[in-house]
Amino acid sequence: MSVADGTEPLGRVRDLAEALRDAGVPVGTGRLVGLARAAAAVEPDDLYWAARATLISRREDVAAFDRAFASVFGLPERTEPPLPEPVPDRRQRVVAPSDLSTGDDGSSDTSLASPVETLRRKDFASCTEDELAQIARMMARLRVRAPVRRTRRRRPARTGDPDLRRTLRRAMRTGGEPIERAWRRRRVQRRRLLLILDVSGSMSTYSRALALFAHASLRAGPGDWEAFAFGTRLTRMTRALSVADADVAIAAAAAEVSDWDGGTRIGASIRRLIDEHGRTRVVRGATCVILSDGLDVGDTELLAEQMARLSRLAHRVVWLNPLKGHDAYEPLARGMAAALPHIDVFRPGHNLQSLEEVADVIARL
Amino acid sequence: MEFTDVEQLQQALARERYIADRGLAVSLYLALTLRRPLLLEGEPGVGKTEVARTLSRVLPARLIRLQCYEGIDAGQALYEWNYSRQLLYARTLQEGSLDPDRKAAELYGPEFLVERPLLAAVRAGSGAVLLVDELDRADEEFEAFLLEVLADAAVTIPEIGTVAAETPPVVIITSNRTRELHDALKRRCLYHWIDYPDREREVKIIRLRAPEASQALAESVAELVGRLRELDLAKPPGPAEAIDWTRALAALGIGTVDADSAGETLGWAIKGRDDMAIARRALIDRLGG
Repeated sequence: MSVADGTEPLGRVRDLAEALRDAGVPVGTGRLVGLARAAAAVEPDDLYWAARATLISRREDVAAFDRAFASVFGLPERTEPPLPEPVPDRRQRVVAPSDLSTGDDGSSDTSLASPVETLRRKDFASCTEDELAQIARMMARLRVRAPVRRTRRRRPARTGDPDLRRTLRRAMRTGGEPIERAWRRRRVQRRRLLLILDVSGSMSTYSRALALFAHASLRAGPGDWEAFAFGTRLTRMTRALSVADADVAIAAAAAEVSDWDGGTRIGASIRRLIDEHGRTRVVRGATCVILSDGLDVGDTELLAEQMARLSRLAHRVVWLNPLKGHDAYEPLARGMAAALPHIDVFRPGHNLQSLEEVADVIARL
Repeated sequence: MEFTDVEQLQQALARERYIADRGLAVSLYLALTLRRPLLLEGEPGVGKTEVARTLSRVLPARLIRLQCYEGIDAGQALYEWNYSRQLLYARTLQEGSLDPDRKAAELYGPEFLVERPLLAAVRAGSGAVLLVDELDRADEEFEAFLLEVLADAAVTIPEIGTVAAETPPVVIITSNRTRELHDALKRRCLYHWIDYPDREREVKIIRLRAPEASQALAESVAELVGRLRELDLAKPPGPAEAIDWTRALAALGIGTVDADSAGETLGWAIKGRDDMAIARRALIDRLGG
């Protein structure tokens, strides 16, 4: 590669930046300046490494960088072992499921007259479209709060541990005599909330209401909470659900989730979640809320294993099962039975009232 | 020591028993010549921290390490006043007859300043390699704060003044990617992802770090570790584990790994019960029960 002579390389460096930008990797002018200085410091043969060190800062971008570099300069002499393929773009558009909620499509005659209290206790599965819309409005007022944890940072307080720094400052006023003492305490911080929503076929009568719950929770949260949906595969819904309007948000989420109303593989989905996000704060230390009926067609051994992993990583695991709202329900489904030992809180989630209660429970975990 | 080209640096590192591939060597060379912080990422155990240690030996420079953790703050990273001493001193001053202005100046004199890693590094300037280890563990706010110090290689202490480095120290930042670092910080840094070494290089690394092991043992361990990395493990073994494992085997007087010795010492390479089960099954397939 004879690239570092004359003025022509500058143009090619610009081409490289263009190619990277086309591939969706942001390359600012600052980085280009960095590259110019780096390229001057090394031999021409090392341009590949110099450019790689200056232009990108994520491992995921290495593949895009290699392609861009190859297209502009030809193949680099040292080829790295191929990186695992980037996570496939899961935004495959599918026909948005038409019946996310109930089979009862607006042919209601009594619902609007129902008192609020009745509606709060009404099973989502038997709600009409209008009732769900009303519930959505009530959910928007639901304040889901995550539990707190103590951080290592401290703040001034009236009581607590001695705060020598401020004590000294105050002692200045009294001629160096620490008469008025100051105290400090550990600061507390809210934990993150992680919602995992079952959108498989068996949940179809609940999934719309539960998606509304997820939407309301994320809206109420501090902005770093996450929501995922799964059926046979896992999809991140956080971004789609961040839109203010609940209907728009859920339509967007439905468009991203390609397996809405399909089968269920909870174990594999949770495994995917932990593999991809287990080492980030999405899962670690978070309060994890799973909304599912636990009717798993997948491998129950895998489910038990992955639930165990999840419970080790997360702060608490809450499982909301709409079926639990029925008096006769017992967690006999194989999947549910396998998951049960790893759950901290097991509650119904079949109507608004139960979700409101859960919101309170979560805050105290 | 000044390096005039990448090879020279690479060789100097090798003399200190660190085998850097070309990419890493170029990144380090650029970090030295351009005085830009180098952000190193990679799986645990690929030698991110070790790079900084070795670099400090070859330069030679003082290694100043800042281990990050959740909740780390300026008092632990930059500087802190020795408050108890100040309080005592304040009381003795009271008995004397100094005027109040002098008192404050004396009370916040350099002798009461407790130097923490970042201040130490700025003071040492080019005489230091600053290792900011596992930055991803610190809070996001801390990153912004670190960025400020790195940008100017200067620290302002209101009571004393600004401490600035004439030549900034060499800065190596490592991250295990438990979270994504902020773009502002990344933009300021050179970046290198340290991959697992290939078989040949891994054997070299093992031989250098575990000189008591034979070539045959090093080769068999490198081969096995390579296999283990292909499995679906939560924590695949890195070169650090390969070295530990080899040393354990060598200490037991084993010449090459077989099914028994591998099974008995597997805990040196695999950390975690679930991984252990997967690895054992694979070992049996590979080496026979």
